[in-house]
Amino acid sequence: MSGRAGGGWIVAVLVAAAIGAAVAAVLRLDTTGRTGSGLSEAYEYDVSRLAKIDPNLVLYVESGPLIHTGMNQSRSIALDGAGRIYVAGDRAIRVFDAAGKAERMISLPGEPQCLDVADDGRLFIGMKDHVEVLDAQGKTIASWDSLGEEALLTSIASHGDAVLVADAGHRIVLRFDAAGTLVDHIGEKDADRDIPGFSVPSPHFDLAVSRDGLLRVADPGRNRIDTFTLDGNLEFWWGERSVGIKGFCGCCNPVSFALLPDGGFVTAEKGLVRVKIYNSDGAFVGVVAGSDQFAGGKQIKVCETPEECQGIALDVAAGPDGRIYVLDPPDNTIKVFRKKGAST
Amino acid sequence: MTFLIAFLGSCPVTQGEIRFPPPEFESGYTFPQTTSPAPQSVLQEYIDAAVLVVGLLLASHLILKRRSRRAIFVLMIGALLYFGFVRDGCICPIGAIQNVTLTAFDRGYAIPIAAAVFFVVPLIFTLFSGRVFCGAICPLGAIQDAVLIRPVAVPGWLESGLRLFAYAYLGAAVLFAATGSAFIICRYDPFVGFFRLGGNWNVLILGASLLLIGLFVGRPYCRFLCPYGVILRHLSRLSKRRVTITPSECIQCRLCEDACPFGAIREPTGNWPEGEYRIAKRRLALFLVLLPILVAGGGWGGYALKSQLARVHPRVRTAERVYLEEAGQVQGTTNVSDAFRATGQTTEVLYADATRIRGRFALGGALLGGFIGLVAGGKLLVLSIRRRRTEYEADPAGCFACGRCYKSCPKEHGRLKRIRETAAGRA
Repeated sequence: MSGRAGGGWIVAVLVAAAIGAAVAAVLRLDTTGRTGSGLSEAYEYDVSRLAKIDPNLVLYVESGPLIHTGMNQSRSIALDGAGRIYVAGDRAIRVFDAAGKAERMISLPGEPQCLDVADDGRLFIGMKDHVEVLDAQGKTIASWDSLGEEALLTSIASHGDAVLVADAGHRIVLRFDAAGTLVDHIGEKDADRDIPGFSVPSPHFDLAVSRDGLLRVADPGRNRIDTFTLDGNLEFWWGERSVGIKGFCGCCNPVSFALLPDGGFVTAEKGLVRVKIYNSDGAFVGVVAGSDQFAGGKQIKVCETPEECQGIALDVAAGPDGRIYVLDPPDNTIKVFRKKGAST
Repeated sequence: MTFLIAFLGSCPVTQGEIRFPPPEFESGYTFPQTTSPAPQSVLQEYIDAAVLVVGLLLASHLILKRRSRRAIFVLMIGALLYFGFVRDGCICPIGAIQNVTLTAFDRGYAIPIAAAVFFVVPLIFTLFSGRVFCGAICPLGAIQDAVLIRPVAVPGWLESGLRLFAYAYLGAAVLFAATGSAFIICRYDPFVGFFRLGGNWNVLILGASLLLIGLFVGRPYCRFLCPYGVILRHLSRLSKRRVTITPSECIQCRLCEDACPFGAIREPTGNWPEGEYRIAKRRLALFLVLLPILVAGGGWGGYALKSQLARVHPRVRTAERVYLEEAGQVQGTTNVSDAFRATGQTTEVLYADATRIRGRFALGGALLGGFIGLVAGGKLLVLSIRRRRTEYEADPAGCFACGRCYKSCPKEHGRLKRIRETAAGRA
């Protein structure tokens, strides 16, 4: 009899404990996702770990004080032969001397996206859908025809009589003559010429012309830099897709690049913000600066909103003395870097 | 911003396979195993529906004609294996309540054929054969039935009171499905984790707890929580044929009294004793007066909880979070608020949506509360009504048609003996 009574108590306790556990389980069930995905660490995408750079790879140091652009939205940077710094942003071009002292400001009718300073001092300014040409004093010489509503000019470079324009909207490079006559489309998908067409997932599409007269174009979707002749023949490319320090990662990198006096490249990446040096063959040389040195890189995270993903990224330029100028749009500043051991 | 939007509009032409290739990791990182469940084929839905119909026909035969507990048990285990472990516990009629409700309230929602079939077919069979679906086909019932090893009796008043949870669960499931907020029956399905051999820990604990309770209390989910069971209970009262303990006349041997682990066997009742009758009459009058009060009180309570109930709707939760962020009452953002802002919608639109949804919950909450009050009042009334029974019989509402009671009946033994003798004679 007592055994049965004892058994009854055990059953009662077990049932009561099970009811308590069931109620607790229901109350603890996360139905809104506030406690995260519940997935194991294997699914975590920890990019901050990837942002760490081996100090031995960093070949540059910051040189001199920050240069404040004085703009609300700085977009592009270029240097002239004398080392003057030109910054496009807001609805103006701001010019600084080589020491970073503001010299003048050129007002524009619209928002400039990119610019180039020709050897004769003329300014070629890429607006959203057309090119404005200014003389060395900032006076408008010409305003070229619109390239259409879908055009988005993101980079411009002059070379002799040729003006090369990167149109991210149409994912093509346009070659004009100095008078603004469209001469050629470069990089258009053409199976007969083994040209796959540019892959441009976000509004970052940079180009430059090297001293040897070859056109270098960032193909950000493929994480590489292509080399074309000015006639539009694809010669070769370099760049590897990797989160490692030697490669480019993410949907669209490099976002900008510039040519160094020795024929090498300085590249800038967004997302995992890095500025790096490659030689003329595309071999990794070293690092200029890592994420922690730029406003956009202080909080390393994968972009979440279209605004973040498509947002403005670093732009780079190289001076004739090998210094590297990095425009940091979120901070509206220019950081100047020199090689370690080089004179200040 | 304008140029970004213009740019985004021009982007889709670019080919996806080129734009977003997987990155090449070089830092020892290995891709975790990911799985992509294939969409369910239409053929599979028809197969499931056919298995359900065949299973119910077989169950009706075994329960009402053959009266074999062993055969019912085998069929039940087969259904558990197929609908539970092979088909992963989906789709089931219990969850289909929500599909049907959403179809009624949302013109933009088309109920899957399988969901409609799974909802309707067991109801039809219940009208003709009683709760044969619960007894032999439902995988949720089967898994509990299979673990019942030492049944204890639950007092009638407690059983009746606990059953109120099932009505509340049904009402809440209908409310949340009707408002497009959530399918809570699926969310809190206690056994689906077992069927799929994995799942959320809390749901697994819930299922394990119910199975632990089910060792002693027969089918606790079916009796006290199952929303579909509520519908089947009431339909089975109307069923044309149903489980009878004895195959012929009851001899009042009382051997079947303890046979049912679900408290579904009703003993014979005579007339009210004189003293009890008067008390019961007064009690009935009191409960009749109390009924509208319970309905009104429940309705008021449900209405008062409209804000809390509305939070189950993701749009309302998003609006509340965004409001707190915009008002500076919380720091930082969440994935949800980030995702909302990425849509480019204005907060005014979000707030207007949330206000409209809350309005629905004001009415829905009042109806839900009133429904629960009505059920509670109805249960009190039923307790005060004495039904006359001349023999032991299975309560059609509470009987799960498991067939356990057959074996206890001497008349059944006699029937089986005659069958055996006839078969031997033929041989």
